[in-house]
Amino acid sequence: MSRQEESVIDEDAEHVSLCKKGNVDAYEFLVKKYQKRMLNIAYRMIGNYQDACDVVQEVFISAYNAIRHFEGKARFSTWLHRIVINLSKNRLSQLKVQDSHEVFSMDDPIPTDHGSINPEPISDEPSIMERLEKRDIQQKVQGCINSLAIEFKEMIILRDIQGFSYEEISDMLRMPEGTIKSRLFRARELLRDCLKRVMGDL
Amino acid sequence: MNCSEIQQKLSAFIDGIVSSEEKTFIEDHLKSCSKCSESLEDLRKTVDYVQRLDDIEPPDWLRQKIIAGIRPETELKKGILKKLFYPLHVKLPIEAAAIIFIAITALYIFRTIQPEVKIAKAPSEELTKQIPLPLSQPLETTTPSSHLEKTIPSPLPNEKKAKGEFEPEQPAPAKNPAIMDKSAEEPQAPAQLAKRDEVGPSAGAASKEESRTGVLSGAAKEKVIAERKETVSISIRVSDVRTASQDIEKTLMQFEGKITKTEYFENRELVTAEIDSQKLEEFIDNLKYIGEIEKKEWIFEAYKHDVQIKIEIVKISGQLQ
Repeated sequence: MSRQEESVIDEDAEHVSLCKKGNVDAYEFLVKKYQKRMLNIAYRMIGNYQDACDVVQEVFISAYNAIRHFEGKARFSTWLHRIVINLSKNRLSQLKVQDSHEVFSMDDPIPTDHGSINPEPISDEPSIMERLEKRDIQQKVQGCINSLAIEFKEMIILRDIQGFSYEEISDMLRMPEGTIKSRLFRARELLRDCLKRVMGDL
Repeated sequence: MNCSEIQQKLSAFIDGIVSSEEKTFIEDHLKSCSKCSESLEDLRKTVDYVQRLDDIEPPDWLRQKIIAGIRPETELKKGILKKLFYPLHVKLPIEAAAIIFIAITALYIFRTIQPEVKIAKAPSEELTKQIPLPLSQPLETTTPSSHLEKTIPSPLPNEKKAKGEFEPEQPAPAKNPAIMDKSAEEPQAPAQLAKRDEVGPSAGAASKEESRTGVLSGAAKEKVIAERKETVSISIRVSDVRTASQDIEKTLMQFEGKITKTEYFENRELVTAEIDSQKLEEFIDNLKYIGEIEKKEWIFEAYKHDVQIKIEIVKISGQLQ
């Protein structure tokens, strides 16, 4: 994931102002632009594809309804990320996923939704074994992310998966960078321990 | 800095957000400390695992669903706007005007038909009056035979009883039976009777009905008498009905009379006319020249202003002669 927006003040300002006037096409452009990132954040947060899709839907619809109140103090993307994180957290607490706070175990049944929605292109993978292995690792990593508490989970997702800067994360979560630094350190430690457990060796 | 302190900084170290002094210090420490180097390596691998996670693709329907969820909302908002603005500018005055128009029309109609409603009350009262009859009967179904015995053969005592109970409640208007107020108050009576006189309510009601019709017939009689007072009936026997009719007409005109109706029968004509009562006697005297006046029924003194006069012109037949 990139941090392209960093160089621009708010590349979406034009579309946002059109949306405020009720231009649905302008909003559709923004949906098209951000839906993938929103879905990935929601998915890594929740760990379930269908719920992630629902949350993304919810994010864009509530963002559209609230766009009139969007003052432009933060960038539109920052605002949108804030919404997706909050709504994902809400969904997560609603679902009360049983293993959300449990350590990922090798004995756990392998979730099928990830593999089914993310078929890897055959050309990239020389052998079925490697593909299966890669899928297995990805599921283990996701399992470990799932096992993290929300406040650590969001750190891993925003920093390591989405690649946001400390400053950006500070904007999104409205918390000082120092907190982010310490939480990220703790989150990485927990994740490392989990991965060591599930994979034997890193 | 000891190892644990170094390890706490490693996370920030790999992100490159440590100060240059710290960075140098950590780098120096890592060269000599295999434990911390290993920790760094694990941390890098961990982050690497996470970063290597494949992006998941949103399904095609997701965007469509989002836009579909937004579009009806915008249309709905437009609809609300329409609803808010149109009545204010166009519809509302029309509606208000329509409501005022309907209200005025309704008031006008109500005022026009109001007297008729009062008149129409009488038959409806008759209906409501009759309702207690079948309603009160089921109350005494426990003894249907006794009920029959009591109600059918002796209506007179029951009538007396009913009247006795009824009249004390309405003492004032009962004096003149022709007064309409009484009939307006009457419908309550059978219901009260039904409550109070459980033994023979139907009979009471029936007697009431009877007395009522008696009242009505009395009023009718009075009306007829009043009518008679104003009408003079004369039978006149003539040889030629047609000529006699014309003569009567002429005579009537002389006395400023007015024919209102002429009925033709075989060998007979009935002329109805209006004439000033002052000229009536003289007129009838004149009729003597036309034919033989057979029947007289009038009292001249009783008449005021115009009176109705019915003249039957009868052809003299051999039989009668």
